[in-house]
Amino acid sequence: MKILAFDTSNKPLSVAVVDDGKVLAHTESTEMKTHSISILPDIKEALEKSNLTVDDIDLIAVAKGPGSYTGVRIAVTVAKTLADTLAKKLVGVSSLKLLAANGDQTHILVPLMDARNDNAFAGVYQTVDGKLENIIEDQHTSMEKLFEKLAQYDENSLEFINATPRLQELIQNQFPNAQVITTENSLPDAAKLAQLAQTTKPVEDIDSFVPTYLRLTQAEHDWYAKGHKDDGNVSYVEEV
Amino acid sequence: MEKDTLIMSFESSCDETSVAIIKNGNEILSNIIATQIKSHQRFGGVVPEVASRHHVEEVTKCINLAMDEAKVTYDDIDAVAVTYGPGLVGSLLIGIMAAKTVAFAHNLPLIKVNHLAGHIYSANFVTKLQYPFMALLVSGGHTELVSVTAPGVFHTLGDTRDDAVGEAYDKIGRVLGINYPAGKKVDQMAAVGSDTFDFPRAMVQEDNLDFSFSGLKSAFINTVHHADQVHEELNKDDLAASFQGAVLDILTNKTFKALKKHPVNQLIVAGGVSANQGLRKRLAAEIAKRNLDIELVFPPLRLCGDNAAMIGAMAQIQYEKGDFADLSLNADPSLDFDME
Ligand SMILES: [Zn+2]
Repeated sequence: MKILAFDTSNKPLSVAVVDDGKVLAHTESTEMKTHSISILPDIKEALEKSNLTVDDIDLIAVAKGPGSYTGVRIAVTVAKTLADTLAKKLVGVSSLKLLAANGDQTHILVPLMDARNDNAFAGVYQTVDGKLENIIEDQHTSMEKLFEKLAQYDENSLEFINATPRLQELIQNQFPNAQVITTENSLPDAAKLAQLAQTTKPVEDIDSFVPTYLRLTQAEHDWYAKGHKDDGNVSYVEEV
Repeated sequence: MEKDTLIMSFESSCDETSVAIIKNGNEILSNIIATQIKSHQRFGGVVPEVASRHHVEEVTKCINLAMDEAKVTYDDIDAVAVTYGPGLVGSLLIGIMAAKTVAFAHNLPLIKVNHLAGHIYSANFVTKLQYPFMALLVSGGHTELVSVTAPGVFHTLGDTRDDAVGEAYDKIGRVLGINYPAGKKVDQMAAVGSDTFDFPRAMVQEDNLDFSFSGLKSAFINTVHHADQVHEELNKDDLAASFQGAVLDILTNKTFKALKKHPVNQLIVAGGVSANQGLRKRLAAEIAKRNLDIELVFPPLRLCGDNAAMIGAMAQIQYEKGDFADLSLNADPSLDFDME
């Protein structure tokens, strides 16, 4: 099975073409390039390097968030449009799970994305029977609440992935014996994304596939806070 | 017989997701528009992050509906066009990513279209354009007088110095307790009321072709606030008529100044505010009064707001010129004619 995989959830942009587990092409950029400019040229280049055309691809794999809102929208829009227009299979994988794939698979893995003010997007993952499983679901959380949830584990078995200097400081205060992999040492890798996609169920309805933001917009948050209720019968977007 | 050209076009610059299939730049095979108005009404205006999220929800649905309604396959399509600015960057990017992906997947040329040019070329579905012509572009984001001297050649003659005219409607609409977007309701109230408040007509004495609406907006808001303080009840229809009276005086004054300097046979009025009935009647009456031999062209109501059909109309000209973009195309949120 030939898989085209890509991730733009955060600053790095990673694209890979993988055929039955064999990596045919792999591009990764850590520079501050604009994903909206680079993603399609990078995909084109990866396919050329693999001596494949986009028609040869069987499955499109994308990191669906959480992450930078604009970043995940770029990858998800390309992925769903490509899968839809060429009638290919589409798989969305958590961007946190993709980071967890960078960890030592004997540990309890805690992939993170710094969401400022000592908050993070975080999930907890563990390898069970050779397969990376989610054991505490991805969420937007304060680091303090995350630490409470992690208290049940032996701190020697914890491995935090993608920690910024500030998060690293908080983690080391709380769990001095835990492993911490910093941001520069845990770049998301689209080849691993392709691998994770093989054991993930394809998206059933491509039209309704959207990023996993894990946070409401501020406007919606404030609107609900005023006591408004989402009326399930009203569609906020309508064809005219 | 020459071969027909079919262009698939995308528009997502604000709060409408739209995909169209256009034949030869002047025939609509399909023009799917998904509007987010109901969502943004919750917040009293367009919230960019909410808009971007809705675009991702809608984009492939619009593509498939456009293909189905036009009864075409990708083999029939000659090019893919997309709005790349001006507009909200997060919104623009969804249309751009989808258009680039379709162009890449089916090996089709890509055309980047200026949203403002698209609005002007919505007239291409109504009449045969004769160059040079004049365009009055009036919307929530823009108020411009544009001279179009040849296909796809634009010269901005006048621009707003502050608010766009549609923006002014929304702001005074809020003061009158009208939900966003307020233009249609204010237009209806104005038709009933009388211009009794004598609001200022900014810059009509000046020789330039620029517009200003913030002074009018402030005068309106001050009048209402003052009445509130002294517990005086003002007639809302008269307020609306007075506001619209000032707007129409300003627009008319500048438009006919422009027509005097640059005589043409066609005046195109485009953009969301071109749906305004008061504006339509006023311009027609002024042309008759002045005995001018000018064809006044308004797009049908469905093509006044943002839509992909107009993008396909403009794209046809660029297609014929061989003006193509590549896969590195990015959004240009503050694009204008003069920057091209
Ligand atoms: Zn517009």
